[in-house]
Amino acid sequence: MSPLEAGIILFCLLLVLLVGGVWIAISLAAVAWFGLQFFTNSDPAPSLFQSFWRTGASETLAALPLFVWMGEILYRTKLSEEMFEGLAPWLGWLPGRLMHVNILGCAIFGTVSGSSAATCATIAKVALPELKRRGYDEKTCLGSLAAAGTLGILLPPSIIMVVYAVAAEVSIIKVFIAGLIPGLVLTALFSGYIIAWALLNPAKTPRDEMKYSFVEKLKKTKLLMPCMALIALVVVVMVKGWATATEAAAYGVLGALAIAWWSGGLSRDSFRHSLMGATRLSCMIMFILAGASFLSACMAFTGIPRALAEWVAALAPHKYTLIAILAGIYILLGAALDGVSMIVLTTSIVIPMVEKAGFDLVWFGIFIVLLVEIAELTPPLGFNIFVLQTMTGRDSSYVALASLPFFFMMVLAIALITVFPELATWLPDALVGVTKK
Amino acid sequence: MRRFLDRLYAAAAVLAAACLVAICVMMLAQAVGRGAGILIRGADDIIGWLCAATAFLALGHTFRHGELVRVGLWLDRLGPRGRWRCELFALGITLCFTAWMLWAIALFVYENWRDKYVTQGLLVIPEWIPQVSLVVGVAVFLVAVLDELLLVLKKEKPTYRRAEEDRRAAGDFSETV
Repeated sequence: MSPLEAGIILFCLLLVLLVGGVWIAISLAAVAWFGLQFFTNSDPAPSLFQSFWRTGASETLAALPLFVWMGEILYRTKLSEEMFEGLAPWLGWLPGRLMHVNILGCAIFGTVSGSSAATCATIAKVALPELKRRGYDEKTCLGSLAAAGTLGILLPPSIIMVVYAVAAEVSIIKVFIAGLIPGLVLTALFSGYIIAWALLNPAKTPRDEMKYSFVEKLKKTKLLMPCMALIALVVVVMVKGWATATEAAAYGVLGALAIAWWSGGLSRDSFRHSLMGATRLSCMIMFILAGASFLSACMAFTGIPRALAEWVAALAPHKYTLIAILAGIYILLGAALDGVSMIVLTTSIVIPMVEKAGFDLVWFGIFIVLLVEIAELTPPLGFNIFVLQTMTGRDSSYVALASLPFFFMMVLAIALITVFPELATWLPDALVGVTKK
Repeated sequence: MRRFLDRLYAAAAVLAAACLVAICVMMLAQAVGRGAGILIRGADDIIGWLCAATAFLALGHTFRHGELVRVGLWLDRLGPRGRWRCELFALGITLCFTAWMLWAIALFVYENWRDKYVTQGLLVIPEWIPQVSLVVGVAVFLVAVLDELLLVLKKEKPTYRRAEEDRRAAGDFSETV
C-alpha cells in the first residue's frame, strides 16, 4: 500500500473517532497505534512509551504549566480594574475615546497572559459595564472586546505558541518574540478601525466627561505599574536572553502571586483554585501533545508526511496559493476544533510541507496563531464569543456579527505578514540570531 | 467504594499540583543558585520529571472535570438516545485503548526496573523511579474511564458532562485557552 493510501485510511479513522466524541488525545494515539500495527513492521508499544515520556519529561515543556498558572492567578486579581482606571484618562482625546481601553487593555493584559478567552473575559468584566453606563455603542464595544481578547495568544507569553513551538520543534522564545511586531500591528489595526468608525459615526461616541489634570493622570497611571513590572519581568528577560522561557515563566508566577497578594486578592481559596485550574488545563494540553507526538512517530514510520510534502511540491503551487489553501483549511478546522488541537493535529503533516515550500517555521507559527485567533472569533466554536455571550446574555450570532469588522482586520493582518514576512521574522532573527534553534 | 474512588482521583490531582509548584520552586532555586554561584546538579532533569508527573497524574481528575477536549459540535445536537450511544462508543474505545496503553507503559517501566537501567542525564538514578508517575497516572485514568462507563451504562449523566455544563452556566472561562 502506498503511503498516501495509508494516509487516507488513517484520516478516515481519525474522523470517525473524533465525530464519535472520542477525546482528542485518545483519538490521536489510537490512530497512531492502528497505523503502526497495520502499516508498518514496528511494535507500537515501545513507540508509545517513548513519545509519551519524551513529550512529558521535558524541561522546555515545563514552561507551559507555569505560564498557565500565571494566567490563572492574574485572572483572579483586580488587575483589570486597575488597568481600566489607569488607561482611561489617557484615551479621552482619540476618536472613539474609551473604546480604545478595550483594545489597549487587552493588548497589555495579553502581554502577561497566554490565553485568549481569559484576556477577553478579564478586560470585558470591567470595561463592558463601564462603557455601557457611559452610553457607548454596545455592538462595537462587544466586537472590539472579542477581537482584542485574541491578542492574548499573539502577544507573548502565549500558551498556543508554546504548544506550536513544542510540536514543531522550534525555539519557544523565538516564536514569542516573533509575535511582538504582528501583535502591535494588529493592535494598531483594531484601534485604527475604531478611529475610522468613530469619525464616520460621531453621534455614537459619548462626550468626554472626565477631565483630569496632568498630575491626576500620572497618579492614575501608577495603577498600571504592577502590570508593566510583570511585563518587564517576564517578556523583557526573555527578549534580552537573560532567561529561558521556563525560567521567565517561573518569575511570572512569582510576580503574579506578588500582585495578587499586594492587591489583597490572594486568599487560600483563590490560590488553590488557580493551582488546580492550572493543573487541569496543563494536563489537558500536555496529554494532547503526548498523543500527537505518538501520531508523529507513526507518521515518520509510514512516510506519509514526506509523500504528501513531495506531492504538494510536485504540484509546485505558488507560495501564496499554498498559504491561501492552508488558511482555508485552518478556518474550516477551527469550526470543529479548539486552537490547541488544531495545531497539534496538523503539525506532523503540515510542517514538512511548509518547510519544503521554503517557509520559515517561526513565521509559520505566527501565521497559525493568527488563524487560531480568527477561530476564537467565529462561530460555532469561538470561545471569545461564548465569553461575551455569557457576560451580556446576547445571542452568539449578535456577538459574531459585531466582531465581523475586526475579523476583516485580522485577515488583513494575515495578508500583511504573508506579503511582508519580515514583520514576524526580523525581530527574533535580530535578537536571538538566525541559526540558533 | 465511591468515597475511595473520589479520593483516589483527588489525591493524584493534588500530587500533580504539588509537582507544578515544585517545578516553579526548582526553577527559582536554580536561578537564585546561579546568582550565588551554586549549581544544582541535574535540576533540568528533575524539572522534566516533575513536568511529566504534572501532566499524567492529573489525568483522571481532569477527565472527570470535563476538561479533556473532544469535538462536541455534533454531539451536542444529538437526541438523548443518540447521545447515549455516542458516549458508550467514545468511552468503550477510550477504555480499550487506555487498557492497552497501561499495559504497554507498565511493561516498559517493568523492564527498566528488571534490567536496572539508570537515567542518562547529570543525575543518575534508576530510570523507573521518575517513570512511575506515567504508570500511576494512566492507571488512575483507566479507573476513571471505567467508572464513567458504568455510570453511562446505568443511564446516568456522566460526571464530565455535568462538570462541563456547570462551568458553562457559571460563565467560568478561566480554563480555556
